[in-house]
Amino acid sequence: MQTLINVGVAQMQTAANPTVLRTILGSCIGICIYDRVKKTGGMAHILLPNGSGSEKPEKYADTAIPLLINNLIKAGCKKENLSAKISGGASMFKFNPNISLAQIGEKNIEMTIKLLEENHIPIMAADVGGNAGRVIDFYLEDGRLKVRAGGKEKMYYKI
Amino acid sequence: MHEQIKQRLEQIVNNIGQLPSIPDVAGKVITMVNDPDASFSRIAEEISKDQAITTNVLKLCNSAYFSRGKEISSVERATVTLGIKEVKDIVFVAATKSILDKQIMGYDLAKGELWKHGLAVAVLSKHIAMIKKKSEIADIAFTGSIIHDVGKTVLALYVQSAFKEIVSLVDSKQITFQSAEREIMGFDHQEIGEKILTKWNFPQILRDIVRFHHEPENAPNESKLLVSIVHIANTICLMGGIGVGSDGLYHQISEEAIKTIGLKDQELENLYSNLPDTINNASAIQ
Ligand SMILES: [Fe+2]
Ligand SMILES: [Fe+2]
Repeated sequence: MQTLINVGVAQMQTAANPTVLRTILGSCIGICIYDRVKKTGGMAHILLPNGSGSEKPEKYADTAIPLLINNLIKAGCKKENLSAKISGGASMFKFNPNISLAQIGEKNIEMTIKLLEENHIPIMAADVGGNAGRVIDFYLEDGRLKVRAGGKEKMYYKI
Repeated sequence: MHEQIKQRLEQIVNNIGQLPSIPDVAGKVITMVNDPDASFSRIAEEISKDQAITTNVLKLCNSAYFSRGKEISSVERATVTLGIKEVKDIVFVAATKSILDKQIMGYDLAKGELWKHGLAVAVLSKHIAMIKKKSEIADIAFTGSIIHDVGKTVLALYVQSAFKEIVSLVDSKQITFQSAEREIMGFDHQEIGEKILTKWNFPQILRDIVRFHHEPENAPNESKLLVSIVHIANTICLMGGIGVGSDGLYHQISEEAIKTIGLKDQELENLYSNLPDTINNASAIQ
């Protein structure tokens, strides 16, 4: 039996096969990291690219990514077996470009990619940007990611 | 334009029996709150006539979001301890839950998502009113937010069958999802929501919030501030993924709303950044 765990805004969760991790995304990013050998993975739902450092690390891409990697290593994963899939980072459809909040989706994407690269975690799929909301399901049995957006489903298998 | 759907929706709005109903007590309490002659005890008496609502109201009065610490065991006590405006908001939460707390098919919202969206928008709207020193309208911001998307409950079925047409119009004309709803089906979820509130005999200010929450620039002047507050709270919740459905973020952020409220860039970002608190507060309403 697969158990479904909902990962909320600014939360992080690691689990093993056969769990499914789910979250719903607007401008936030769902960062999914998987160990293909240990069949264990984790999801972070980040709200913003970077914070002041003193706050909840799960909320920001720059602190959540190292924390997620660390949690996976503590759970017995090996860094060289890890790979990532990312999703989310949508923007409002219409806005005046001088509203800085409206740029958050794009900034989240940039920072997430940068931090994963710095931590040498290869990105296998990036279903990001645009204006759609997304519901994502991360299957820890094989690391596949299902992205449901605008009434359509896409599956990403590469790990 | 999808003629069949348009005709069907015209039938529905002209025959209000087909629109959702709300317990009488909600409408009565709203009117009484605005009536200077209505006493606390009269309002409490009116609520107490509806046993099911009363049970829920008392539970909500003692929830982490509304409670002031002391256990409240009667509606009369609640009006004194929390004030009638707060009790009105609580009656409202109790009276609308069954209408909103369900799966909304065409918008791809699982059961509970539209309800939680309304609660989060309500908590955030109230917060915006408070930080902008407009506490006298915070209760209306709250009630209006709870039901701002009520039109979706009726429109969902038709959005489902016209979804492809709506999406392709959004794409080809670069218009928002809700504008495309109106162009394809003759009505958008704001207009259907307004009809529902008219059926319920709700005050104009609440009708305006429902009718203009995606286009606050078109709201009448006297309701522009409240509509703008709900618009911004709604936008921020959608960006945070709270209640985001098949219409996604295919909506606008109204610059006029930001100016009307007087929100600085940093304040706007803080509202978004503090979403985890908003979500916690919203889930404390039960
Ligand atoms: Fe709406
Ligand atoms: Fe909404």
